[in-house]
Amino acid sequence: MVLKNLQITLRTVYTKSVTRLYPEEIMDLPDAFRGQQHLDMDKCVGCGICSQMCPNDVIEIVKSGKWYPQFDNGHCMFCGLCVDFCPNGALSMTKHFELACWTKEETVYSPDQLAAPNKAELEGRTGGYTK
Amino acid sequence: MTHEATQITSPTKPSEILLHLGPQHPLQPGPFLLDLKIEGETIREAELKIGYIHKGMEKVFEDRTYLQILPLTDRICYLASNSNNDVYCRGVEELLGIEPTERAKYLRVLTNELCRLQSHLLGIGEYATDVGFLTMFIYMVREREGVVSLLEAITGSRLNHNYARFGGVANDLPPGYKEMALKTLGELKKQVKSHDEMLSSDSIYLRRTKGVGVLTAKEAGELGVAGPPLRAAGVEYDLRRMEPYLVYDDLDFKVITQTDGDVFSRVKVRLLEILESIYIIEQCLDQMPSGPYKQDVTPYITRPKPGEVYARIEDPRGEMGMYIISDGSDKPYRFRIRGPAFATAQALPPLLVGGYVADVAAIAASMDSCTSEVDR
Amino acid sequence: MAIIEIYDIIMHYLVYIFADNPFAPWIRGVLGGLVIGAVFGGALVMVYLERKFLGDMQSRIGPNRVGGRFGVLQLIADAIKLFTKEDIIPAKADKWLFIGAPIVALTSGFLMVAVIPFDLLVIKGNEYAVAVSRMDISILYLEAVSGLAIFATFMAGWGSSSKYAVLAAFRNVAKMIGYEIPLGITVISVAVMAHSLDIVEIVEAQSSIWFIIAQPLGFVVFFIALLADVGRIPFDQTEAEEELVAGWATEYSGMRWGLAFFAEYLHAVVGSFIVTLIFLGGWNGLPIVGNLYIPGIFWVIAKVIMVMMLFIWIRAALPRYRIDQVIDIGWKVLIPLALLNLVWSTIIGLLWA
Repeated sequence: MVLKNLQITLRTVYTKSVTRLYPEEIMDLPDAFRGQQHLDMDKCVGCGICSQMCPNDVIEIVKSGKWYPQFDNGHCMFCGLCVDFCPNGALSMTKHFELACWTKEETVYSPDQLAAPNKAELEGRTGGYTK
Repeated sequence: MTHEATQITSPTKPSEILLHLGPQHPLQPGPFLLDLKIEGETIREAELKIGYIHKGMEKVFEDRTYLQILPLTDRICYLASNSNNDVYCRGVEELLGIEPTERAKYLRVLTNELCRLQSHLLGIGEYATDVGFLTMFIYMVREREGVVSLLEAITGSRLNHNYARFGGVANDLPPGYKEMALKTLGELKKQVKSHDEMLSSDSIYLRRTKGVGVLTAKEAGELGVAGPPLRAAGVEYDLRRMEPYLVYDDLDFKVITQTDGDVFSRVKVRLLEILESIYIIEQCLDQMPSGPYKQDVTPYITRPKPGEVYARIEDPRGEMGMYIISDGSDKPYRFRIRGPAFATAQALPPLLVGGYVADVAAIAASMDSCTSEVDR
Repeated sequence: MAIIEIYDIIMHYLVYIFADNPFAPWIRGVLGGLVIGAVFGGALVMVYLERKFLGDMQSRIGPNRVGGRFGVLQLIADAIKLFTKEDIIPAKADKWLFIGAPIVALTSGFLMVAVIPFDLLVIKGNEYAVAVSRMDISILYLEAVSGLAIFATFMAGWGSSSKYAVLAAFRNVAKMIGYEIPLGITVISVAVMAHSLDIVEIVEAQSSIWFIIAQPLGFVVFFIALLADVGRIPFDQTEAEEELVAGWATEYSGMRWGLAFFAEYLHAVVGSFIVTLIFLGGWNGLPIVGNLYIPGIFWVIAKVIMVMMLFIWIRAALPRYRIDQVIDIGWKVLIPLALLNLVWSTIIGLLWA
């Protein structure tokens, strides 16, 4: 009658639990993961296709030496269209997703911040990006 | 049972109470207002009011180019995002006059079925909490993690996939995917069979759900309800079999039906559809041809010829359709979304009349509607 | 041989502390206070055990951050959080009923704790029960006092003046009244078999065989009626979040809610104690083997924890009934079975006397 339920719940006590204790154990993300974008300054020609492509008007092309894109992370939905349609492959997506910061101004990433080697991937651990 | 929109009247006798279920209530998947007039424990009248999260999507889409609309169609119903992407891409491809490549067709079928799996798993889980079966919700979420990881490995994101493109798909399968998928799906099949047994043999559950909230085939047809509620009433209506799109006419699968049309049958249809989808995915992985996964040149400013198209797909909740009128420019002239959850939400108030207050939770959750899609 | 000598020494000291010296009544009073505190601690243990054991059955870990890897201080953190919340009383609520309801619920819990014995010490030919007070009619007193909980629920529902709370209170009162009857009849059948209404004597009558073996139908009926009386799944319609947002305690916030919640767990713990004492043999170890020289209090605590785990196991595995099905079961199924059990136990009781 109800014995099947009781039996199955009791059997689950002996299996391993599926909880992951998050900040100590990190999940391994696949290669196709869409996280923070990374800019390769040598390949970027400042064409502006990524800015026209973005559904949320997140990208603005600013002058920093040459003309480069600047991202506003507060409105970005990480859809990946800018990366897909860049003609030279200058933009790529990394596995960094812990992007919380303290002030509103820090959500806008200038081209130099985008181009910096992503410390998170090098160190294997995530945290605030710009520090 | 009448289907005209009824206005609920104020209580006349002292034994009647007007109860407002919503807009914030723990049973709901999204905000809507369900007004009930109850006498004792029986429901006399019911009225449903929607529109609390109307985002104006159809108007927003008139101001974006065709490729910019693509990530936004994910968010019409966030649990069925691959189906939304797919139907939109097929509509625009018909306007442009191009066809996706062979490998892309199989990849789209694969992600559609994976999306159906995770939507049904979560739908049954939410329904289980409403019946009082807390453990079943956690088991379903646990199974769903495996499926969502498979989707993440292909598309890059767990919830809003943004995977289909005009003429193909965005990414190819990563190496070693077939073994990982077959292993996860084998485990899932075993667990779902055990859950099915658990639900069918529990006498408390059967007493609670058999004969409750019956939606007959005739009423479902009058309201435009399709998907699991219609198939649970005995009608064999599945768009994948009737108008095969992509490669469904090369795949072998059954259309699951039950005869009663009550809450128990609807949930059973979803459970059996999970097993059927796993079978389809295994066939896809076997038969997948090699080749390009997208067209060589995918234009980023698309200007289809003037015309109109209506594309349909078998969504996990029913039949979703998109009607696009293009006038030759790079933005659509009119974009109309026909969501399946709108019809199922309409079917809810007549089912509640004459039942108990305690049945509202079970019936509403077994219809599995998504308020974001009702309101758009 | 050495164990018996140690036992004698300990008994000698116990006799001195509790019976011979001039402060003995005060010391016995303090012991009574400790007993109440112990049952309180039992309720805290039950909350912790529920969260951990429920997690195990649902493939997840329960609390694991506060107080080390096993989260033992989680309850203290929750209590501190509840103290710091704002105390909201709805504007249209009936103030005295609203405030009084958790107090009545806790009072009912305290009064029930007053007669629960943990052990029976035989010192120099006199019997001393380790309980706050020993009455001749303890079982009857327990039945009467557990009816106070019904008042508390109705006061909370009516005083909140909110439609959800009133509906939930109606359901709860209908359910509890219906289930008090099989509870009472089963208790009477146990008392008939033990020839006394005193809990201590009922436990003593189980020294050779437990009553669960002598009247298994009585155990099943009592257990189901207890689940319904306490309000746990499969009978917890009044707290069903999905149907009537948190039931009779909808309008409570902060520590008032904490008290109501705690009173429910206290009721469940006291219910477990009663089941242990009248069906599972209390402090008489195992059925035929006896005590094995372990003091009776450890047997009582071990059995109570097992009954609590049975409560939690049933909560994890089963869905909820609908309210009219609950009342159907109470009146149409449990009362006939309880009467049948009464006839059975009368016959066995007479044959065995």
